Amino acid sequence: MRLGISLAILGLVAGAFIGLRVPLVLPAAYAKYLSVAILAALDSVFGGIRAAMEDHFDNTIFLTGFFSNAILAGTLAFIGERLGVELYTAAVVAFGVRIFQNLAIIRRHLLKK
Amino acid sequence: MSRYLSITAVALVLGVMVVQQFRITGYQSAHGTPADRAQELTVELKQLEKERADLAAEVEDLERKLAQARMGYSQAAEALRTEITKLRLLAGLEPVRGKGVEVVVVPRQGTGVFTVRDEDLLRIVNELRGAGAEALAINGQRLIATSEIRTSGAHITVNLIPVAAPYRILAIGNPEYMKNTLEMRGGVVETLREWGIDIAVFTREDLTIPGYQGKTSFEYARTS
Repeated sequence: MRLGISLAILGLVAGAFIGLRVPLVLPAAYAKYLSVAILAALDSVFGGIRAAMEDHFDNTIFLTGFFSNAILAGTLAFIGERLGVELYTAAVVAFGVRIFQNLAIIRRHLLKK
Repeated sequence: MSRYLSITAVALVLGVMVVQQFRITGYQSAHGTPADRAQELTVELKQLEKERADLAAEVEDLERKLAQARMGYSQAAEALRTEITKLRLLAGLEPVRGKGVEVVVVPRQGTGVFTVRDEDLLRIVNELRGAGAEALAINGQRLIATSEIRTSGAHITVNLIPVAAPYRILAIGNPEYMKNTLEMRGGVVETLREWGIDIAVFTREDLTIPGYQGKTSFEYARTS
Protein backbone atom coordinates (compact mmCIF):
# COMPACT_ATOMS: atom_id res chain seq x y z
CA MET A 1 0.00 0.00 0.00
CA ARG A 2 2.73 2.44 0.95
CA LEU A 3 4.69 1.47 -2.14
CA GLY A 4 1.59 1.97 -4.28
CA ILE A 5 0.96 5.47 -2.94
CA SER A 6 4.57 6.52 -3.27
CA LEU A 7 4.71 5.11 -6.81
CA ALA A 8 1.53 6.98 -7.69
CA ILE A 9 2.94 10.26 -6.35
CA LEU A 10 6.20 9.62 -8.17
CA GLY A 11 4.31 8.92 -11.38
CA LEU A 12 2.27 12.12 -10.98
CA VAL A 13 5.38 14.20 -10.41
CA ALA A 14 7.16 12.59 -13.35
CA GLY A 15 4.08 13.13 -15.55
CA ALA A 16 3.84 16.78 -14.47
CA PHE A 17 7.52 17.20 -15.24
CA ILE A 18 7.11 15.64 -18.69
CA GLY A 19 4.00 17.72 -19.36
CA LEU A 20 5.85 20.90 -18.46
CA ARG A 21 8.88 19.92 -20.54
CA VAL A 22 6.90 19.09 -23.67
CA PRO A 23 7.31 22.15 -25.92
CA LEU A 24 3.88 21.68 -27.49
CA VAL A 25 0.73 23.03 -25.86
CA LEU A 26 -2.54 21.62 -27.12
CA PRO A 27 -4.71 24.15 -28.99
CA ALA A 28 -7.28 25.90 -26.83
CA ALA A 29 -10.07 24.23 -28.80
CA TYR A 30 -9.12 20.88 -27.25
CA ALA A 31 -9.16 22.18 -23.67
CA LYS A 32 -12.79 21.15 -23.28
CA TYR A 33 -12.20 17.56 -24.34
CA LEU A 34 -9.05 17.26 -22.28
CA SER A 35 -10.84 18.54 -19.18
CA VAL A 36 -13.55 15.91 -19.55
CA ALA A 37 -10.90 13.26 -20.15
CA ILE A 38 -9.14 14.35 -16.96
CA LEU A 39 -12.39 14.09 -15.04
CA ALA A 40 -12.94 10.58 -16.39
CA ALA A 41 -9.37 9.61 -15.51
CA LEU A 42 -9.76 10.98 -12.00
CA ASP A 43 -12.96 9.00 -11.68
CA SER A 44 -11.11 5.88 -12.72
CA VAL A 45 -8.32 6.58 -10.25
CA PHE A 46 -10.70 7.06 -7.35
CA GLY A 47 -12.60 3.99 -8.47
CA GLY A 48 -9.32 2.08 -8.40
CA ILE A 49 -8.49 3.31 -4.92
CA ARG A 50 -11.94 2.35 -3.71
CA ALA A 51 -11.59 -1.10 -5.29
CA ALA A 52 -8.22 -1.54 -3.64
CA MET A 53 -9.75 -0.69 -0.30
CA GLU A 54 -12.57 -3.15 -0.88
CA ASP A 55 -9.96 -5.75 -1.88
CA HIS A 56 -11.32 -6.51 -5.33
CA PHE A 57 -8.86 -4.44 -7.34
CA ASP A 58 -8.41 -5.87 -10.83
CA ASN A 59 -5.41 -4.57 -12.69
CA THR A 60 -6.86 -5.09 -16.20
CA ILE A 61 -10.19 -3.46 -15.36
CA PHE A 62 -8.36 -0.55 -13.78
CA LEU A 63 -6.05 0.05 -16.76
CA THR A 64 -8.69 -0.41 -19.47
CA GLY A 65 -11.24 1.60 -17.45
CA PHE A 66 -8.79 4.47 -17.06
CA PHE A 67 -7.89 4.80 -20.73
CA SER A 68 -11.26 3.91 -22.22
CA ASN A 69 -13.07 6.31 -19.85
CA ALA A 70 -10.70 9.15 -20.67
CA ILE A 71 -10.83 8.58 -24.43
CA LEU A 72 -14.57 7.98 -24.45
CA ALA A 73 -15.29 11.08 -22.41
CA GLY A 74 -13.19 13.23 -24.74
CA THR A 75 -14.80 11.68 -27.83
CA LEU A 76 -18.26 12.13 -26.36
CA ALA A 77 -17.62 15.80 -25.67
CA PHE A 78 -16.32 16.16 -29.23
CA ILE A 79 -19.38 14.44 -30.72
CA GLY A 80 -21.65 16.53 -28.54
CA GLU A 81 -20.00 19.66 -29.87
CA ARG A 82 -20.57 18.50 -33.44
CA LEU A 83 -24.18 17.56 -32.73
CA GLY A 84 -24.87 20.83 -30.99
CA VAL A 85 -25.81 19.04 -27.75
CA GLU A 86 -23.85 19.95 -24.64
CA LEU A 87 -22.72 16.37 -23.89
CA TYR A 88 -19.73 18.00 -22.27
CA THR A 89 -21.91 19.13 -19.38
CA ALA A 90 -23.47 15.68 -19.10
CA ALA A 91 -20.00 14.11 -18.81
CA VAL A 92 -18.93 16.67 -16.21
CA VAL A 93 -22.04 16.03 -14.11
CA ALA A 94 -21.85 12.22 -14.41
CA PHE A 95 -18.15 11.99 -13.59
CA GLY A 96 -18.43 14.62 -10.86
CA VAL A 97 -21.18 12.66 -9.13
CA ARG A 98 -19.20 9.43 -9.40
CA ILE A 99 -16.03 11.03 -8.10
CA PHE A 100 -17.87 12.36 -5.06
CA GLN A 101 -19.50 8.98 -4.46
CA ASN A 102 -16.14 7.21 -4.67
CA LEU A 103 -14.58 9.82 -2.39
CA ALA A 104 -17.35 9.31 0.17
CA ILE A 105 -16.85 5.53 0.14
CA ILE A 106 -13.07 5.92 0.43
CA ARG A 107 -13.58 8.28 3.38
CA ARG A 108 -15.79 5.75 5.10
CA HIS A 109 -13.24 2.99 4.57
CA LEU A 110 -10.52 5.20 5.99
CA LEU A 111 -12.66 6.09 8.98
CA LYS A 112 -13.61 2.44 9.65
CA LYS A 113 -9.99 1.46 10.14
CA MET B 1 4.12 -6.17 -9.50
CA SER B 2 2.12 -5.39 -12.62
CA ARG B 3 -0.31 -3.60 -10.33
CA TYR B 4 2.34 -1.07 -9.31
CA LEU B 5 3.42 -0.69 -12.89
CA SER B 6 -0.12 0.14 -13.98
CA ILE B 7 -0.55 2.57 -11.08
CA THR B 8 2.64 4.33 -12.06
CA ALA B 9 1.61 4.43 -15.72
CA VAL B 10 -1.82 5.78 -14.85
CA ALA B 11 -0.35 8.40 -12.54
CA LEU B 12 2.14 9.39 -15.23
CA VAL B 13 -0.56 9.84 -17.87
CA LEU B 14 -2.81 11.69 -15.44
CA GLY B 15 0.05 13.99 -14.52
CA VAL B 16 0.76 14.79 -18.16
CA MET B 17 -2.91 15.45 -18.86
CA VAL B 18 -3.44 17.66 -15.83
CA VAL B 19 -0.34 19.72 -16.53
CA GLN B 20 -1.31 20.09 -20.18
CA GLN B 21 -4.73 21.30 -19.13
CA PHE B 22 -3.17 23.77 -16.69
CA ARG B 23 -0.89 25.03 -19.40
CA ILE B 24 -3.79 25.48 -21.82
CA THR B 25 -5.95 27.35 -19.32
CA GLY B 26 -2.95 29.38 -18.16
CA TYR B 27 -2.16 30.25 -21.74
CA GLN B 28 -5.77 31.26 -22.30
CA SER B 29 -5.98 33.49 -19.23
CA ALA B 30 -2.62 35.04 -20.13
CA HIS B 31 -3.72 35.77 -23.68
CA GLY B 32 -7.36 36.44 -22.97
CA THR B 33 -8.91 33.78 -25.19
CA PRO B 34 -11.65 31.98 -23.31
CA ALA B 35 -12.80 28.53 -24.41
CA ASP B 36 -16.10 29.75 -25.82
CA ARG B 37 -14.38 32.42 -27.86
CA ALA B 38 -15.46 30.64 -31.03
CA GLN B 39 -19.11 30.96 -30.07
CA GLU B 40 -18.74 34.63 -29.20
CA LEU B 41 -17.01 35.24 -32.49
CA THR B 42 -19.73 33.35 -34.34
CA VAL B 43 -22.40 35.53 -32.76
CA GLU B 44 -20.40 38.64 -33.51
CA LEU B 45 -19.86 37.46 -37.07
CA LYS B 46 -23.57 36.93 -37.52
CA GLN B 47 -24.31 40.39 -36.15
CA LEU B 48 -21.70 41.97 -38.37
CA GLU B 49 -22.98 40.10 -41.38
CA LYS B 50 -26.47 41.36 -40.68
CA GLU B 51 -25.12 44.88 -40.26
CA ARG B 52 -23.20 44.53 -43.50
CA ALA B 53 -26.33 43.40 -45.32
CA ASP B 54 -28.20 46.39 -43.91
CA LEU B 55 -25.45 48.74 -44.99
CA ALA B 56 -25.35 47.16 -48.44
CA ALA B 57 -29.08 47.74 -48.75
CA GLU B 58 -28.56 51.34 -47.65
CA VAL B 59 -25.81 51.78 -50.23
CA GLU B 60 -28.11 50.45 -52.91
CA ASP B 61 -30.89 52.78 -51.82
CA LEU B 62 -28.62 55.80 -51.78
CA GLU B 63 -27.15 54.90 -55.14
CA ARG B 64 -30.63 54.67 -56.59
CA LYS B 65 -31.47 58.07 -55.11
CA LEU B 66 -28.25 59.49 -56.49
CA ALA B 67 -29.03 58.11 -59.92
CA GLN B 68 -32.49 59.65 -59.72
CA ALA B 69 -31.02 62.98 -58.68
CA ARG B 70 -28.52 62.78 -61.54
CA MET B 71 -31.30 61.98 -63.96
CA GLY B 72 -33.32 64.92 -62.61
CA TYR B 73 -30.25 67.12 -62.94
CA SER B 74 -29.68 66.15 -66.57
CA GLN B 75 -33.37 66.65 -67.30
CA ALA B 76 -33.25 70.10 -65.72
CA ALA B 77 -30.11 70.93 -67.68
CA GLU B 78 -31.83 69.76 -70.84
CA ALA B 79 -34.86 71.93 -70.08
CA LEU B 80 -32.62 74.92 -69.40
CA ARG B 81 -30.74 74.36 -72.64
CA THR B 82 -33.99 74.22 -74.58
CA GLU B 83 -35.15 77.38 -72.84
CA ILE B 84 -31.87 79.14 -73.61
CA THR B 85 -32.08 78.18 -77.27
CA LYS B 86 -35.65 79.43 -77.41
CA LEU B 87 -34.76 82.72 -75.75
CA ARG B 88 -31.73 83.22 -77.99
CA LEU B 89 -33.97 82.65 -80.96
CA LEU B 90 -36.45 85.22 -79.62
CA ALA B 91 -33.67 87.70 -78.86
CA GLY B 92 -32.32 87.39 -82.38
CA LEU B 93 -28.92 86.01 -81.40
CA GLU B 94 -29.29 82.89 -83.51
CA PRO B 95 -29.20 82.76 -87.31
CA VAL B 96 -32.61 81.71 -88.66
CA ARG B 97 -33.94 80.52 -91.99
CA GLY B 98 -37.34 80.23 -93.60
CA LYS B 99 -39.43 81.74 -96.34
CA GLY B 100 -40.01 85.46 -96.53
CA VAL B 101 -39.40 88.52 -98.66
CA GLU B 102 -36.39 90.45 -99.87
CA VAL B 103 -36.84 94.17 -100.31
CA VAL B 104 -34.22 95.96 -102.40
CA VAL B 105 -34.12 99.74 -102.09
CA VAL B 106 -31.92 101.73 -104.50
CA PRO B 107 -31.85 105.54 -104.81
CA ARG B 108 -32.10 106.62 -108.42
CA GLN B 109 -28.73 107.79 -109.74
CA GLY B 110 -28.04 111.44 -110.43
CA THR B 111 -30.83 112.82 -108.33
CA GLY B 112 -29.11 113.98 -105.18
CA VAL B 113 -32.32 115.17 -103.59
CA PHE B 114 -34.12 111.85 -103.61
CA THR B 115 -31.76 109.82 -101.56
CA VAL B 116 -32.90 107.05 -99.21
CA ARG B 117 -33.31 108.36 -95.69
CA ASP B 118 -33.37 106.47 -92.40
CA GLU B 119 -37.08 107.20 -92.09
CA ASP B 120 -37.79 105.37 -95.37
CA LEU B 121 -36.09 102.25 -94.10
CA LEU B 122 -37.86 102.62 -90.76
CA ARG B 123 -41.20 102.78 -92.51
CA ILE B 124 -40.44 99.65 -94.51
CA VAL B 125 -39.29 97.82 -91.40
CA ASN B 126 -42.34 99.02 -89.51
CA GLU B 127 -44.66 97.79 -92.25
CA LEU B 128 -42.91 94.43 -92.34
CA ARG B 129 -43.23 94.12 -88.58
CA GLY B 130 -46.85 95.02 -88.85
CA ALA B 131 -47.23 92.23 -91.41
CA GLY B 132 -45.88 89.72 -88.97
CA ALA B 133 -42.17 89.49 -89.84
CA GLU B 134 -40.41 87.23 -87.38
CA ALA B 135 -36.83 88.09 -88.22
CA LEU B 136 -35.44 91.14 -89.99
CA ALA B 137 -32.05 92.21 -91.30
CA ILE B 138 -30.77 95.17 -93.25
CA ASN B 139 -27.65 94.48 -95.29
CA GLY B 140 -26.74 91.58 -93.02
CA GLN B 141 -27.43 93.50 -89.78
CA ARG B 142 -30.00 91.66 -87.73
CA LEU B 143 -32.66 93.88 -86.22
CA ILE B 144 -33.18 93.14 -82.53
CA ALA B 145 -34.98 94.94 -79.73
CA THR B 146 -32.22 97.52 -79.26
CA SER B 147 -31.40 98.02 -82.95
CA GLU B 148 -31.52 101.55 -84.30
CA ILE B 149 -31.83 102.85 -87.86
CA ARG B 150 -30.61 106.42 -88.05
CA THR B 151 -28.67 108.78 -90.23
CA SER B 152 -25.19 109.38 -89.03
CA GLY B 153 -23.45 111.84 -91.31
CA ALA B 154 -23.51 110.54 -94.90
CA HIS B 155 -24.51 107.01 -93.87
CA ILE B 156 -27.36 105.19 -92.32
CA THR B 157 -26.26 103.05 -89.36
CA VAL B 158 -27.92 99.87 -88.18
CA ASN B 159 -26.65 98.36 -84.92
CA LEU B 160 -24.06 101.19 -84.99
CA ILE B 161 -22.69 99.71 -88.25
CA PRO B 162 -22.90 101.94 -91.33
CA VAL B 163 -24.84 100.44 -94.21
CA ALA B 164 -24.83 101.79 -97.76
CA ALA B 165 -27.04 101.58 -100.81
CA PRO B 166 -28.31 99.35 -102.25
CA TYR B 167 -30.28 98.39 -99.14
CA ARG B 168 -31.36 94.76 -98.93
CA ILE B 169 -33.98 94.17 -96.30
CA LEU B 170 -34.63 90.51 -95.51
CA ALA B 171 -37.71 89.48 -93.59
CA ILE B 172 -38.87 86.00 -92.59
CA GLY B 173 -42.59 85.61 -92.27
CA ASN B 174 -45.63 85.10 -94.51
CA PRO B 175 -44.23 86.22 -97.95
CA GLU B 176 -47.56 87.01 -99.61
CA TYR B 177 -48.86 88.95 -96.66
CA MET B 178 -45.71 91.04 -96.29
CA LYS B 179 -45.45 91.68 -100.02
CA ASN B 180 -49.10 92.77 -100.20
CA THR B 181 -48.71 95.01 -97.19
CA LEU B 182 -45.76 96.80 -98.72
CA GLU B 183 -47.28 97.12 -102.19
CA MET B 184 -50.80 98.09 -101.30
CA ARG B 185 -52.27 101.20 -102.90
CA GLY B 186 -50.95 104.28 -101.17
CA GLY B 187 -48.51 102.10 -99.27
CA VAL B 188 -44.85 102.57 -98.61
CA VAL B 189 -43.61 101.20 -101.92
CA GLU B 190 -45.82 103.47 -103.94
CA THR B 191 -44.85 106.50 -101.83
CA LEU B 192 -41.14 105.82 -102.18
CA ARG B 193 -41.43 105.30 -105.90
CA GLU B 194 -43.08 108.69 -106.14
CA TRP B 195 -40.10 110.14 -104.33
CA GLY B 196 -37.81 108.71 -106.97
CA ILE B 197 -36.50 105.65 -105.17
CA ASP B 198 -36.31 102.28 -106.91
CA ILE B 199 -37.80 99.62 -104.67
CA ALA B 200 -38.52 96.01 -105.50
CA VAL B 201 -40.10 93.29 -103.35
CA PHE B 202 -39.27 89.63 -104.06
CA THR B 203 -40.74 86.65 -102.31
CA ARG B 204 -38.13 84.07 -101.37
CA GLU B 205 -38.67 80.41 -100.53
CA ASP B 206 -35.54 80.04 -98.44
CA LEU B 207 -33.89 82.95 -96.65
CA THR B 208 -31.13 82.85 -94.09
CA ILE B 209 -30.87 85.74 -91.67
CA PRO B 210 -27.71 86.01 -89.54
CA GLY B 211 -27.80 86.42 -85.80
CA TYR B 212 -26.98 89.62 -83.95
CA GLN B 213 -23.21 89.99 -83.60
CA GLY B 214 -22.86 93.00 -81.27
CA LYS B 215 -22.56 93.16 -77.52
CA THR B 216 -25.37 91.66 -75.53
CA SER B 217 -24.72 92.87 -72.01
CA PHE B 218 -26.51 95.74 -70.29
CA GLU B 219 -24.54 98.38 -68.50
CA TYR B 220 -27.36 100.16 -66.68
CA ALA B 221 -30.42 97.97 -66.69
CA ARG B 222 -30.77 95.49 -63.85
CA THR B 223 -33.41 92.94 -63.07
CA SER B 224 -35.98 94.48 -60.74
